[in-house]
Amino acid sequence: MRSESITDTNKFIDSMAKVTIYTTPTCVYCRAAKEFFKENNVAYEEKNVAEDEQAREDMIVKSEQMGVPVIDVDGTIVIGFDRQKLSELLSLGS
Amino acid sequence: MTYDLVIIGTGAAGLSAAIYAERYKLNTLLIGEEFGGETATAGAIENWPGNKIIDGYELMAAMKEQALAAGAEIREGRVIRVKKKDACFDVFTEKESVHAKAVILAIGAQRRHLNLPNEKELTGKGVHYCVTCDGPVYAKKTVAMVGGGDSSVKGVNFLAEYAEKIYLITREKEPHAEPVNMERMKAHGEKVEILAETQVKEIVGEKKLESLVLSRSYRGEERLAVDGLFVEIGFDPDKTFADQLGLELDERGYLKADNMMRTNVPGVFPAGDAVNHFEGFKQDITAAALGAVAATSAYDYVRKNGSRCEFHASA
Repeated sequence: MRSESITDTNKFIDSMAKVTIYTTPTCVYCRAAKEFFKENNVAYEEKNVAEDEQAREDMIVKSEQMGVPVIDVDGTIVIGFDRQKLSELLSLGS
Repeated sequence: MTYDLVIIGTGAAGLSAAIYAERYKLNTLLIGEEFGGETATAGAIENWPGNKIIDGYELMAAMKEQALAAGAEIREGRVIRVKKKDACFDVFTEKESVHAKAVILAIGAQRRHLNLPNEKELTGKGVHYCVTCDGPVYAKKTVAMVGGGDSSVKGVNFLAEYAEKIYLITREKEPHAEPVNMERMKAHGEKVEILAETQVKEIVGEKKLESLVLSRSYRGEERLAVDGLFVEIGFDPDKTFADQLGLELDERGYLKADNMMRTNVPGVFPAGDAVNHFEGFKQDITAAALGAVAATSAYDYVRKNGSRCEFHASA
């Protein structure tokens, strides 16, 4: 199994939006979303819902569902890796 | 610009085809909607030669890197239409269109659903189709897996790392999976229970999944309380491009091709799970093999017929 840190706040500071991504360690769409953020210099906080029960509850309350990834961009909830919607929310223009 | 070859699909078959096509010096564009296809979500793969164990996503990332290094161009996008025009093909995505002398359809297949009322409404709310994605969300919970093949047993073994209790619901007398995966499942003991010769009749829940109604009672009850349901009951072929191009299908609805992946439409070559070769035995290695064969036939076709497309494209 792939191992990743439970939380991984990267160092990019270009984005002003507060971005939280709820993930599981083996979810490929979570991984694709994180790669998208890194490519676009978007800072994000990652919460691994497989281990962090509070994060799991928060994710379910926010998104009203249990699929990952769930991405919170300044309070707007995106379910799944929706590249187009994220680009709009983060003003990435792609 | 006209590409020698456009490959639709970025899973094991498409990426393998791209690697081979570049070795044949075909100017190749690869377009895919979901990088890595089914392999990317497969979790740990232990039967890919050369790797004792490799994560499916990592394997696809390595294939992509190899295809890019060989010279292939890869774009993300959903192909919605393929049209044959004289000796050329027009490939349309939602945003653009490209010309090609030949096309490889490495389009995979669609995950089969149970087609029960409430299934769609509760998708993501207890009903899931990607165990490696959403399985870990059910840590310490009770879940069910529907299916009887290797993917479902492998899925149960994955879930066992997280869930407290797992029911494998199969309509067969017993699941049929690789012996190594069956042994692992048995090693989980009482944590995994097999409900044989049983089908899910109803999916019950309003805002989220609450229980399943079974075709055969379990411990005197027809209703089984579960937090999550994972569905691994196989795949159905996607006929979209077959209809558009007039491709023949086999008796199961998969793209019909000869041993060299040639179809009834010259210049169109299928590969991977879109083809039902090997009697339905679908693996990464078979998908990759069919991709290599399709690229070889595409090379042969472009070498003999490519100039006809250049003539039409410039006319």
